[in-house]
Amino acid sequence: MASVIKNEPFAGRNGVVISKRPIRNEGSPEYRTYEVHQRERVGESTEKIKPAQLISEAYRQNPYPLLEILRENYPCYRDWLSNSYWITPYNEVTSIFTDEANFETRPKTWYYGLDYLGRDLGQEPGVLEAEERLIDAQGKLVAAEISGALASKTSGDLATEFAAQYSIQLLMTTLAIPEEDTGRFASIFWRMQRGTSWNPQLQQEGRKAINALISYLDPIVTQRTSQPGDDLISAMIQVDSQVTVQDVVVTLLERDHETLQGALANMWFLLLTHPGEFEKACSEKRLMKLAYMETLRHSTPVLSAHRFARNEVERYGRLIPKGSRLVCSAAAANRDPRIFKDPDTFIVDRKDMCQREPRGQYRADGLATGIAFGLGKPSLQPAVPEDQPRSHYAIARDTAVTASQILLQHIENIELIDEPHLSSLTVGEMHTCWKLPVTFKAK
Amino acid sequence: MSSVESFIEELAEINDNDFASAKDFPLMPEGEAFDMGKAEDGTPLIDPRIFDSQEFFRNPYPYYRILRDHYPVFHDKLHNCYWVTRYDDITECYFDDEGFNTIPKGSSSGVLGNTQLELSGVEHRRRRNLYGQHLVGQSLKNRVPAIERLADEMIDDWDKLAASGSDFVSDQNGTRTIELSTVFANEFPVRVVCEVLGFPKEAQTQFYYWYNSMMSGLGGSDTHKQGVEARQDLEDYVAGIVEQRRVKPTFLYDSEGKLIGKDIITKLCETRVDGDFLSTEEITSNIALIVAAGGETTRGAIMNMWTLLLRHPDQFAAVVANDDNWDRAFHETLRHSSSIGGQPRHNTFDVEMHGVKVPAGSLMQMVDFAANHDERIFKDPETFNIFRDDLYSGKLLRSGYRKEGRCSHMAFGVGPHLCPGAWISHQEAVVGARILLGRMKNPRINEDKMPKDIDGTSPAPMGIVSVRQLWLDYDLA
Repeated sequence: MASVIKNEPFAGRNGVVISKRPIRNEGSPEYRTYEVHQRERVGESTEKIKPAQLISEAYRQNPYPLLEILRENYPCYRDWLSNSYWITPYNEVTSIFTDEANFETRPKTWYYGLDYLGRDLGQEPGVLEAEERLIDAQGKLVAAEISGALASKTSGDLATEFAAQYSIQLLMTTLAIPEEDTGRFASIFWRMQRGTSWNPQLQQEGRKAINALISYLDPIVTQRTSQPGDDLISAMIQVDSQVTVQDVVVTLLERDHETLQGALANMWFLLLTHPGEFEKACSEKRLMKLAYMETLRHSTPVLSAHRFARNEVERYGRLIPKGSRLVCSAAAANRDPRIFKDPDTFIVDRKDMCQREPRGQYRADGLATGIAFGLGKPSLQPAVPEDQPRSHYAIARDTAVTASQILLQHIENIELIDEPHLSSLTVGEMHTCWKLPVTFKAK
Repeated sequence: MSSVESFIEELAEINDNDFASAKDFPLMPEGEAFDMGKAEDGTPLIDPRIFDSQEFFRNPYPYYRILRDHYPVFHDKLHNCYWVTRYDDITECYFDDEGFNTIPKGSSSGVLGNTQLELSGVEHRRRRNLYGQHLVGQSLKNRVPAIERLADEMIDDWDKLAASGSDFVSDQNGTRTIELSTVFANEFPVRVVCEVLGFPKEAQTQFYYWYNSMMSGLGGSDTHKQGVEARQDLEDYVAGIVEQRRVKPTFLYDSEGKLIGKDIITKLCETRVDGDFLSTEEITSNIALIVAAGGETTRGAIMNMWTLLLRHPDQFAAVVANDDNWDRAFHETLRHSSSIGGQPRHNTFDVEMHGVKVPAGSLMQMVDFAANHDERIFKDPETFNIFRDDLYSGKLLRSGYRKEGRCSHMAFGVGPHLCPGAWISHQEAVVGARILLGRMKNPRINEDKMPKDIDGTSPAPMGIVSVRQLWLDYDLA
C-alpha cells in the first residue's frame, strides 16, 4: 500500500518550511522516474535560431522575421534560455488555445504572486451587462469629444491623442471616476497593467499601483455600496454582498487593457501607411470593421499568450512535461501562409479570413479568424442569444469601429508627418504604434 | 478638457528605447554589483537580463549575494524559473529527489541522450550503480599508477613542443613558459576517462574533440549542431565496440597485471533493466555523459586550483611543504570557484518556500556557486583560504557533511545525485598536481600574459567560467 504523508507544512531538516501536497511514496501518478526528453538527432538541431534572439532588441522591434523562422522550421521550439516551448503555426496555436483540459491560463494575479488578493468579477452577468451598455452608450460621446478637440487643431498624434486617450477615457467614464482624478487614475491603471512584466522596475511600479488603487477606490467602493450609481464599479459591488475593494481591483487588473488602445493605434498606423486600403475602409462601415479585423490578424498588439501544461502531454513528437510554459504566438499564427494567402500584406477585404469573430471555433464559415488578445477557447455558445451581452471581443470591435468613424466625421486629409513604426516597450509587452503624428484639416 | 490629458502627455513622452539599453550591463569592479534600482524599502532589484550578461559571467558573486539576502527563491519571469541560492535550501532540495526531481532536465539530454542525470528514484540508482563502482574505493586506487603515467606522458611532450616552436611551451634564459590548459589541463581528464572506459590510446585525441563539441553544444547553445554531430560520431565509434563486447567481454588490469574487473562498457552490455539489455543508444548515452562530465569539470578544477594557489603564495608554500594539504586546496578551490554552476530541479508538487509559491513542474535552479558563497555557512566566503575552519575537506560523502561548524562544499551536489565522478576528479586533480609540482621547479604565474580585467592591469576575475588560460613560468633544471 502506498503510504501518504499528511498535507501539512513541515520544517525540513534545515528548518526551511516547505508545504507540499500529499506525497505517495510509491506509485504516485505524479512522480515519474523515467526519462522525458529524447535525444536530438543530426538534422533535428535548431541552429537556425538562437534562443537569445527571442528576447532581443530585434524581436522587441519587429518579431515577425524571427517568428517566421520558428513557424517554418520548428513548430514546437524548445527554448532553453526562457524555459519555454514556442508554438507558432496557426493550427497548432489554436489546438492549444482550445484545449483547456490540458493547458491552463494563469491569471495576472499569479504573475504578481498575489493569488489571494481578490476575485475577478469580470465574467459575472451583471458586470458583463453593465459593461456592454455603458461602453455602447458612452463610446460615441467620448469619441465625439476627442475628435472635436483634435479638429480644433491642424496636427496631432493619433496614437496618444486618439487611440490611447479614447480607450482610457472610455474606461474612466464607464467607471465614473471623478474628472479631477482621471489623470492620476489612468496613470495608476497603466502601471498596474505593466507590472506583470519580468522587468523589476515595472513590477515595483505595479505593486505600488495596486496599493494606490486599493487606497483610492476604498472610499469610492464604500460610497457606492450605499448609493449605487449607473457605472461599472457599482455593477461589480452589486454582484453579491461579499464584494471587497480588492475584488474590484483584481477585476480591473484582469481586464484586457491592451485590446482597444493597441488595436486602434495599429489600425490607424496600417491605414495611413496603406492609402489604398484606407480608401476602402472609409467607404463603408462594414469595411472599417473588416479593416479592424485584418489589423488584429496582420499586427496584433498582443503577440503571444502563455499557457501552462496541466498534465504531461505528448504533442508534435515531444513529451511536454507538466508545468511547462508554452508561448503560443498569435503573431506567428496570423502570418501562417498555410492559412492566409500573402500573409504579410495588409488587405482590408481579405477573402480568406472569416468576417466575424470566433464563436464556437476559430474557423467559422470554414475560414480562419485572426488570433488576437490572447484569445482562449471560443465561446461555448456559437451564437450569443439576443438577451445576453455580446462578447468582449465584439464590444471592443464595435466601439473601435464607431470611434474611428466619428473621427473621420471630424477631420480629413490626414497625412503622416514622419515614418511611424510598431514596437514593444519591453519584450513581452504590447506591440503597437506609440507615436503616430499626423497633420489634418477639420471637416 | 479633462485631466486625463496629463497622462496622455506622459504616454507621449515614452521613448521606446528606454528599456533597450539596460541589457548592456556595464562591467563593474570585481565584487561590486551594478545598481539595477531599488524598491521603496531600499531592497536592491534584480533585472533578470543580468543572468545573460557578460558582467554576470565575470562577476557573479555580488549578485548572488543580493539573491541570497533578499530573494532566496527568486521568480525569474524572463527565464521562467526560480533561482534558489541559499546553502540550506539547496541541500534540502537535493536530498529530496522525489519532491525536487531531476526530470525533465533535458538541457543536456538533447545532445548526450538519456542519462541518469534525468532519472530519479530506483531507475536512477540502478543505472548509476553500474559504473559508479568503477569510480570509487579500491578500483580507484588501482588506477592511480595509470593516472600518474598519463600525466607524466603529457609533461614529457613539453620538451618536444618547446623544440618545435609551439606557442604554448617556450624556453628562454633557463625559464620555461607554458600555457597549462593547452598543454595539460584540457586533455588530461579526457585521457583519464578513455583509460577508465578502456578505449585505445589512438582514440584519445578524437575523444577530446568530441568532448569539446558536445560540451559547447549543450542547452541549445550557438554550437548546438556541432554538439549533436559530435554525439553521432561518438555513437558511430562506440557502437562497434559495444557490439564486440556484447559477444566478447573485456577486462581491465592494473599496471602490475592484476585483474581490476570487467571494463565499464562490458558491464553495461551485460546489464538488464526491466528484463531488457541496455540498448546501444543507452550505453552510448552513458559513455557520452562520462566523457562530457569527466572533462570540463576536472579541467576547471585543475586550472582554478593552480591559479588560486599561485596567487596566494603562502598557501602554495604550505602545499609544497606538506603534500596532505592538496586535499584542502582541492576542496577550497571547489568551494571558492567551482567549475559547475548548479543543478536544475523540477518540483513534483506545488511548494511554498520563503513565501514564494512555486507551482508543480516549475524549473528550480539550484545555484551551487551561490551556496558555496553563502556567508550563513562559510565565513568571509569570497576569500580563498585552504585553512578555513568551516569547510569540510575529508572523504567525500554522499550524505554531505555538516558537523561541528564544518560543512562540505556544494560543487559536487549532495544526496542521491552527488557527482559519481567526485572521487576520481579529486584523484586526478591531486595526483596530477603532485606530478606537475615534481616536474616544475619554482612555478609562478606569468601575469604579463594573463587576461586582464576592465582596468587593464589587474587579473581578470574567475567568475563562473573557470580559468581559460594559465600562463606559468618555471625554472628549467
